Amino acid sequence: MKFMYSRIVLLLLIGSVLLSACGGGGANQPAVVRIGWAGSPDTLNPGNAILSTSYTIYELVYDSMYELQLDGSYALSLADTASVSEDGTVWTFKIRDGLKWHDGQPLTAEDIAWTYNLYKDTPEYPYLNGYYTTYFDTITSTEANEVVLTLTEAIPNIESQLVFLYILPKHIWEGVDKLEYENLDMIGSGPFKLAEYAQNEFVRLTANKEHFLTPPKVDEVIYQTFENQDALVQAIRSGQVDMITEMPGTAMESLKNEENVKLVTGAPYSPGVTDIIFNQIAPENCPTAEGGLCTGHPALQDRTVRLAMAHATDKQQLIDVILLGLGTPGLTLIPDGLGSWFNNTLKDYEFNPDEANRLLDEAGYLDADGDGTRDMPDGSRPLTFRLNWPSDSIDAPRMAELLGEMWLKIGISLEPGAVDPDALTAQCCPAFDFDIMLWGWASDPDPSALLYVYTSDAIPYGSSETGYSNPAYDEMYANQQVELNAEARRKIVWDMQKLVHDDVVYIIPYYAGAAQAYRTDRFSGWITDQVKLELGDVSSLVVIEPVK
Amino acid sequence: MHPPASRRVHVYLRSESPELMRTRAILQKAAWAVFTVVFVILLNFFLFRVLPGDPARAGMRDPRLRKEAVEALQARFGLDQPVINCFESLNPVKLGRCDVNPFETQFFRYMQNLLRGELGISYHTNRPVIDILGERLWNTVLLIGAGQVLSIVLGMLLGVLAAWRARSALDFTAVGASLVAWSLPTFWLGILLLFWGSSLGLPVAGKATPGMSSMPLLAQWTDIGRHMLLPTLTYTIIYMGEYTLIMRSSLLEVLSEDYILTARAKGLNAVQILRDHAMKNAMLPLVTVIAINLGFTVAGVIQIESVFSWPGLGNAIYEAVVRRDYPVLQGAFLLIAVTVILANFLADLTYSLLDPRVTVE
Repeated sequence: MKFMYSRIVLLLLIGSVLLSACGGGGANQPAVVRIGWAGSPDTLNPGNAILSTSYTIYELVYDSMYELQLDGSYALSLADTASVSEDGTVWTFKIRDGLKWHDGQPLTAEDIAWTYNLYKDTPEYPYLNGYYTTYFDTITSTEANEVVLTLTEAIPNIESQLVFLYILPKHIWEGVDKLEYENLDMIGSGPFKLAEYAQNEFVRLTANKEHFLTPPKVDEVIYQTFENQDALVQAIRSGQVDMITEMPGTAMESLKNEENVKLVTGAPYSPGVTDIIFNQIAPENCPTAEGGLCTGHPALQDRTVRLAMAHATDKQQLIDVILLGLGTPGLTLIPDGLGSWFNNTLKDYEFNPDEANRLLDEAGYLDADGDGTRDMPDGSRPLTFRLNWPSDSIDAPRMAELLGEMWLKIGISLEPGAVDPDALTAQCCPAFDFDIMLWGWASDPDPSALLYVYTSDAIPYGSSETGYSNPAYDEMYANQQVELNAEARRKIVWDMQKLVHDDVVYIIPYYAGAAQAYRTDRFSGWITDQVKLELGDVSSLVVIEPVK
Repeated sequence: MHPPASRRVHVYLRSESPELMRTRAILQKAAWAVFTVVFVILLNFFLFRVLPGDPARAGMRDPRLRKEAVEALQARFGLDQPVINCFESLNPVKLGRCDVNPFETQFFRYMQNLLRGELGISYHTNRPVIDILGERLWNTVLLIGAGQVLSIVLGMLLGVLAAWRARSALDFTAVGASLVAWSLPTFWLGILLLFWGSSLGLPVAGKATPGMSSMPLLAQWTDIGRHMLLPTLTYTIIYMGEYTLIMRSSLLEVLSEDYILTARAKGLNAVQILRDHAMKNAMLPLVTVIAINLGFTVAGVIQIESVFSWPGLGNAIYEAVVRRDYPVLQGAFLLIAVTVILANFLADLTYSLLDPRVTVE
């Protein structure tokens, strides 16, 4: 009997393969865009979300006051007009008439004000409360379909504060537990509606052809999860998906020559930054009350040593080897993908090991015992630094190896080691129990968040990873926070980048690029000519059309 | 790959009635199983708390994450409470006051949840752990079920053939292939099959084609079957080798026994000898290994599941480790521990069924 069952199973398996070969396409089938990505939303409740994959879905299903464009600018979305009071603290948004939720209910200023209050009053929402509603005082709606937002102080970047605050339907959300609610129906107002969701499998969206601004031309979009990037590449080759949002660098060359597949590269939608972190905290700044240990090598507090290491770092080689060329040399924590906020006039330190050696010789870091590693000027200890990176990083081991070779040429040796990401966080900040770390940051469209990382305030807070403290910088940070004139603010932000670059707070090896690919025989019209590249952005998904 | 299968076999020679002894032994075994589960429950709690790192921060490296938000999250998950009396936290070890109300410690809340039959809420997805594990468990059972059935059937068959034709070309091929299959790295074989399968147009990820839920049931099942092909094949190849080798060696041993010689002398044919005399005894070691495997494979399919993006339990565990999602980890480990213990318990019972001389100690 047992053998019978196994035969039946086998027959079923074989049969299913044969059957599946018979599937064909009809003439009037809906246009379904299949997107392969390596992630999956962590939650459909926007307040609880942490992963950027969740935000990708929110961008399609929800609307917000402003839309972030691929050139880094903002466009009003739900409102016809926005105006601000003389002192810059009261914003009035005139909401468009006739807006509708996916369930047919009207979307009004009342929903928007209610949503902003929800985010403001829920401290457990990690980003939407913690970061974006910091300056919210009161939010009300008026009979004239207006939202009146009063701020605690005037800020220069209201657009970036509102762009991720997705508007939720009050008639659904007021009756649910705002933390536990899984939002599986996900009623929104955006250009796509949630049709089906299986966590870690796929998100299926159908077009909202009645959207007020950008009704999609296709009928459906499916985001399918591939936990394995090689599978992702195979899937676009075999036509199982129409577009992939990422790929391993090694796959780029082969996809370039693939028939019916177009490979595109550019700055990523959420530009990230990879950093080489020097623990340079001065003993008097050590946050002992917050658990500061401050065990960093004293040589790293010396700008000359850091400068010499910068001169000895061949960034182009790092880009060529680690990113296979897909990236640009980095300068500060503000990546080039942030558009006009990026100071493109800074001149990087030239790759010149001789100059690096000269600097170290001059400063008295000599190899006293002749073991190939330089020593402190007083001979107390060698220039041997601990180098740590999060063990889940794919690129860091290669970078550590390359840096080890580069810096050995100037008499600096390393003790490399991968550390569990959480253990590394514990070592990092505010403990300052390390010498050098390789890590990175995600970025907000506004530069303020990353500029904060350099401030003295951030040291006890756990956000500062270098312990860098410069009163001049702190003052500039405070100034750009309240400078309402965009051009004047940009100038301060540029000066800040110059200051931290001059002080060699970090070495930023590169800003990694994004590589995506789409099938040319399925849909046309993908947007690829903007500052940032994101084929899965709303701007592409609402304009693409099936290839005839 | 697995701990060696060893089990003390006790030939009973005492004068007590066999039924009584048997019942007592089973009860004893059951008591041990329960004790082990309780131990696992306790260990489960402390194991994850001696790991470094803060779940409220895990996976979040973003300048937008403010300290206040981390504190609010810690409070939400009860992580701001002492782990247990006298201990504020276990890593780093921070001693705390011993006179705190034990009902307010993390340990008590954990036990309270368990007694209520709740596994808590996932820190990462904010969903009840029981829902997550429930969904994932069935996917894994489906995959393991198909893989185990195939590998047991094929492995046994090949093992019997190899033993019956010992030292023939067939035997050498079977043993060689089995050794190779057994020692192949799972993920590597998976990737190879993935490349091969995708060139044939087989789906390489997931359990089903998105959007199939509106199709007729037969089409849905066919679709799932197609998605199962590659992961099941990987699983079968990996486990089949082990079963073949064990079946072969244990059958060879039995075949050298005197009573087999007697059977041959009586003029029985090959099928009769194998079916009526040899197989039952030769099955004993295989049953042990299968039982142990059943327990371990729940976790052991992690690699197959991540190569083929199979939404199973292994995948959930991997993600929970990355995210420091204690409730999911605790739930999953408990589930696996119970499966392993149950599988062992069942193996003990099966043992005495297969061979009445054997009783369980």
